[in-house]
Amino acid sequence: MTDPLALDPVLPVRERSERPWNLDLPHDERFAHFEAHVTAGGKIEATDWMPDEYRTAVLRFVEMHANSELMGVLPEREWIMRAPTLRRKLALTAKVQDEVGHAQLLYRVAEDLGKPREAMLEDLLAGKTKFHNVFHYPTRSWGDIGIIAWLVDAAAIVAQQALRDSSYAPYARTMQKICWEESVHIMHGRDVVVTLVSGTASQRALVQEALDRWWGPLMQMHGPRSDRSKDRDLHWRIKAKTSEELRQEFLTIYVPRIRELGLLIPDPDLRFDETAGEWRYTEPDWDELRSVVTGHGPKSQDRLEFRRLNRDETRWVRDTILAAPAVAA
Amino acid sequence: MTLSKVPSAAREAAAKLDAPRRDALAELLLTMADDEFVGGFMDSEWTGIAPILEEDVAMSSIAQDELGHAKALYELLAEVLDDGRDADAIAYDREPEAYRHARLLDLPRGDWADTIARRFLYELADEARLASIGTGYGPLADLVAKLRREERYHRMHVVAWVERLANGGRIARGRLEAALAVAAAVAPTVFTRLDGEPELLRAGILSRPLAAADAAWRVDLTRILVPLELALPPTIEHGPEGRAGHSDAFRWLWREFTSVRRSEVGAAW
Repeated sequence: MTDPLALDPVLPVRERSERPWNLDLPHDERFAHFEAHVTAGGKIEATDWMPDEYRTAVLRFVEMHANSELMGVLPEREWIMRAPTLRRKLALTAKVQDEVGHAQLLYRVAEDLGKPREAMLEDLLAGKTKFHNVFHYPTRSWGDIGIIAWLVDAAAIVAQQALRDSSYAPYARTMQKICWEESVHIMHGRDVVVTLVSGTASQRALVQEALDRWWGPLMQMHGPRSDRSKDRDLHWRIKAKTSEELRQEFLTIYVPRIRELGLLIPDPDLRFDETAGEWRYTEPDWDELRSVVTGHGPKSQDRLEFRRLNRDETRWVRDTILAAPAVAA
Repeated sequence: MTLSKVPSAAREAAAKLDAPRRDALAELLLTMADDEFVGGFMDSEWTGIAPILEEDVAMSSIAQDELGHAKALYELLAEVLDDGRDADAIAYDREPEAYRHARLLDLPRGDWADTIARRFLYELADEARLASIGTGYGPLADLVAKLRREERYHRMHVVAWVERLANGGRIARGRLEAALAVAAAVAPTVFTRLDGEPELLRAGILSRPLAAADAAWRVDLTRILVPLELALPPTIEHGPEGRAGHSDAFRWLWREFTSVRRSEVGAAW
């Protein structure tokens, strides 16, 4: 097996400096070289010259991903305390720790594009930037912990696997590590779900009820269908697949796995259309998605307020570390 | 849930113990495990909300280590007791008053300075206690050797924080001093004399009395706190209340951490 964390080699400085978009050429020529390279599948490093349009697009994409990892910590951390066995508690603590670690890695990738971490956190807490819809909902039971770790992470990994080939190389490298860890979360989540569905009637009901609540947000998670030719993130190959491709992929892998456990998917119209070769489903509630990601979800404001409060309470620690000279080794 | 009856070195060693010795060993293991369990719970509360992301990841690793230690100690205890309860049943299925953690671990999580003060005093106390475990019970001696390797890093981490806060200006130092004053008053309870201590000493399970570990801890603390001009913990009379009569903070914690488990008693989770 290849090392899952092995990284693609970065081109030596000399070769990078010889790439045409890094040469001292008129802007339009550089742009043309850059665009030709990227659209042909080439990679860009943080030290490469890049058009503002590209820089802004990558930054916005990575920043939202980082925000989502950070905010995604909150729904699950509430249950670390209530984990019902030592093993579950260790696994859940490790999972939430991974998410924090992902946020840290992604904010570093974004920082290199020119926006300081503090500014990104301020914008997040001020509601100026977004985070994924699924982290705007409450976690009501231990069943949610299984469904989130299994299916929310599964839907995320479908998208994230496609990002391992992002044109922005530092992001693509980071995604290799993240995908590896996310795949462990899915195993943890599935194990929680399998244990519950094999348990008592009320444990089984707990998972079904959680699935009923989470199905809507899961179907909305990848976003509405979009026009491939108009999607700038696809043009720049920051991402590789459309929303609908990701949703179809998720359904193909996970519908059979959910049904295999005897769970009912709460969509009477969900079926695979053999002729068209794709899944048919009840149209997700796109108004709900728009409302939720703009800060009007059931827990959006509570979670942001919790983060703001926590940030104020720990500010003195950051001030201390930044002000004090390093402790002598 | 019952334990599978797999023969193990620990089970064989436990079977050879006579009743007084087994009781004394069980008491020691329970106090150590409960300390790590309750302390680990409080530390894991920082996961996701620590002052900076890098520290969040570090604190979370420490909490996982402590919980891992608690798990290993409860597993050892389950084999010694051999009463059909597994590590989870011992860890979770008791009334709050049956927990034997020291009062130091009863303190609420508090702010970052409270956590650093509690962790610092506990980490060094735990080190002195681990250094007092003799070779009288092989499985415990083997486990302690492993725990001490991990605790080294916890010590480096928390001592660095104490130094940083002590030298970090008026606000940080003030918060640290206040937090240390509260935690230090109950910190010696980690060395609360155990009922079975004479038996543990006779069996070589303890190589020195816990009072001697307390003295060694104070020497260790002196070397760190005096250069920083911070106060040493007061000496206290060790009575049984050092590991009993738990706080409201612990009762709240207990209600939380047993809530899912109590919702369906006896189920697998």
